[in-house]
Amino acid sequence: MLAASLNSALGNAGLLLMLSATTFGAFATAFSIRARATRTLQHAPRYAWLALAGAVLSVIMMQRALITRDYSLAYVQQVGSSATPALYNVAAMWSALEGSLLLWVLVLAGFTAAVAWRFRARTDDPLVGWALVIMFVVSAFFAFVSFGPASPFAAGPPVGLGFDGPGPNPLLQNHILVIFHPPLLYLGYIGFTVPFAFAIAALITGRVGEGWLMETRRWALFSWAFLTIGIILGGWWAYEVLGWGGVWGWDPVENASLLPWLTGTAYIHSVLVQERRGMLRVWNISLLIATFALTILGTFITRSGIINSVHAFSAGDIEGYLLGFFAVVVIGSLILIGWRGDRLRSPGAIDSPVSREGAFLANNVLFTAFAFVVLLGTLFPLLIEALEDRRTVVGAPYFDRMSTPLGLMLLFLMGIAPVLPWRKASTELLRDRLFWPAWAGVGALAFAVLVGATGWAPLLAFGLAGFAGGAAIRQLVLATRRQGWRGLVGRANGGMVVHLGVILIAVGLASSNSFTHSANIPVTVGTVQSWGGHTFELIEITETLDDRASVVSAQIRLDGGRTFAPAITTYLQRGETIGTPSVSTSLTKDVYLTLDGTVRPLPGSTDATLRVFVKPMIVWLWIGSGLMMLGTLLAAFPGRRRRPTDPVSAPVPVGAEQQR
Amino acid sequence: MARQVQSIKRWPTWILLIFLVVGLLAVGSTRDTGPRSPGERVDDVSRRVACPVCQGESVFESRNNASESIRAEIRAQVAEAERSDDQIIEDIANRFGGEVLLVPRSTGIEALAWAIPAAALVLGVAGLAMAFRRWRAAADGDRAATADDYSLVDAALASEDEQLHDHERDHEP
Repeated sequence: MLAASLNSALGNAGLLLMLSATTFGAFATAFSIRARATRTLQHAPRYAWLALAGAVLSVIMMQRALITRDYSLAYVQQVGSSATPALYNVAAMWSALEGSLLLWVLVLAGFTAAVAWRFRARTDDPLVGWALVIMFVVSAFFAFVSFGPASPFAAGPPVGLGFDGPGPNPLLQNHILVIFHPPLLYLGYIGFTVPFAFAIAALITGRVGEGWLMETRRWALFSWAFLTIGIILGGWWAYEVLGWGGVWGWDPVENASLLPWLTGTAYIHSVLVQERRGMLRVWNISLLIATFALTILGTFITRSGIINSVHAFSAGDIEGYLLGFFAVVVIGSLILIGWRGDRLRSPGAIDSPVSREGAFLANNVLFTAFAFVVLLGTLFPLLIEALEDRRTVVGAPYFDRMSTPLGLMLLFLMGIAPVLPWRKASTELLRDRLFWPAWAGVGALAFAVLVGATGWAPLLAFGLAGFAGGAAIRQLVLATRRQGWRGLVGRANGGMVVHLGVILIAVGLASSNSFTHSANIPVTVGTVQSWGGHTFELIEITETLDDRASVVSAQIRLDGGRTFAPAITTYLQRGETIGTPSVSTSLTKDVYLTLDGTVRPLPGSTDATLRVFVKPMIVWLWIGSGLMMLGTLLAAFPGRRRRPTDPVSAPVPVGAEQQR
Repeated sequence: MARQVQSIKRWPTWILLIFLVVGLLAVGSTRDTGPRSPGERVDDVSRRVACPVCQGESVFESRNNASESIRAEIRAQVAEAERSDDQIIEDIANRFGGEVLLVPRSTGIEALAWAIPAAALVLGVAGLAMAFRRWRAAADGDRAATADDYSLVDAALASEDEQLHDHERDHEP
């Protein structure tokens, strides 16, 4: 019992250390800035180290409790099981509400410490000081929620000696991606706290120019990349685990991750206008505030149980705190923007809508509209419930229908924007520069028609994808011709590689959404069934049993070649059954095999019913995602671009005066 | 060579391109791909119906008994081949209540789900157009002086003249 109380005591102590370090750090730093006490300001990073130490201690204790199956803790009773394999036992920490908040706390403490380390030489700069204060305040909030109302270290009801928990939700101990998807997503969500903190600090100090923007450019870019890869891994996980053959279901939790991604994507585009022209200051700050606030709102939506979702954890007692924090963030930010209104008004004007900055503005309108539609659709059931007191569901068909035109417009913009110059473009210039991209679009369209694609929306998507791809490749070709390998790095060129990745994903989504075929196919040992140009033969049905689960799998020979084994797994502790698909992947199509879950085949029986999906081009989603990540790395690579704050002329050499 | 490339980039080539795009789109989107198979119709319908006991999944995705019975129902109706997809969905919706519709209706309060985004997009574009007009006005204002500017300058010059005269008078011996 000593060891058990140790987990709880040290875990709580870690959270308390973080809570007090961040609270005290926030006050001390804020007062030191007000009092211009540069000596005490130098201590500011120490609070960040202390907070990180506390968070790490808590997480270690939670992992220890999970590994030792310390059933004195309510959380371990909920998600622990002696049958869970070690790897999924690590991931059990984020398989329910309290533990996932603890992961949040750890990542937030990590980011705060990273900011303190990166800017440790500039603690006397009020901008850095206030940014740290904001980071401390946000950390203190989450440390408080984790320490108090949603404590992962709360004692559970006493249990007998032989007690064993149910383990994590079966869906969360079924695929290796559960180890990576939540932490990467959290790195993205929480990473945006850093640019947000600097934006608020800029408002407080009144230094609303481009300085804070340049400081946080890479932070925003990397957070965006983590959010992107987190969302994509979520889609991959759904595809590999959920068994309905899709990657994205427009579930409220998925939407909650898409919302900050949409506003964040708008931000990393419009920020270029401010860097170049000093304009859109209020807009950029608002986008960052929206991104951060939507992260909080998304956490509220999905963790409070007010909207039904397959992802939602059991409702905790934290929704009031989250909603309150959301209100504080939004109202506080609006007051700050209003207070700094005079400084935020930027000089200059955008001359023409047909210009690079005009394209970025159009991009922002589309991404904001997209975010608005997703938010509206996600919250619409609440609206109906409030107004008419009845339950409704807004599901995938609604979002598909709304996002198709937006996606097509974004593809079109991706074709036009890269060739546009800043300030103003003439028709002749567009005619000249868009020539090859436009023909690439025609080529893609003709190819799609030739191979049998139908329907105006997917055809338009293929054509516009060709157009946008042509524009991106044109930019890369011109840049590499001019600069050699350096034509692939830097923001503009790396961004084009990201665009190519997005285009591949768009093609993959358009074809897999529009041209998927599926059927239920009865298979019997000894006979070869054929459907849709493929043959299926059942070899045998086997069962493997361990103390965690019973796995019944059907060995299916596909097209007379390789065998695949779609399975149905029954988790003994929870008594839940989930299907596991088996997928044959190729560059042109996936053949996705699942066992029909309604009739569980018996091991040794000679027939079963297969549910088969033939999904074209789905592998390009994953290839495109890889390209997006590569492009982001290339974009973050320092180019030869001069920082606007650097001197234009070469420094005068020391001793030059004497020589003359 | 370069000149030839320049000359094909002229407008006639673009007009050809536009005709090609319209033609290809017309061919691709109107050609007959044959009637949908019953299985595909069942899939299409079941994608638009929510499973009544799950949390936001469609009948197409969900594998539980409630969804299975709705799927069987859809299959039976499709096999009869008398009603359209919309009629089948309306039938099921009436039986289970509005809860099973995954797409908001276009009548009554649910029409807001369609109207609000459209209004928002119009507002966004209108706001952008207004911003551009204001920017253009500001840019034009930089270039040409208005009558107000002229009168301002005249007044300033006049008062300066007076001051100058006053000044000169003060210094007269």
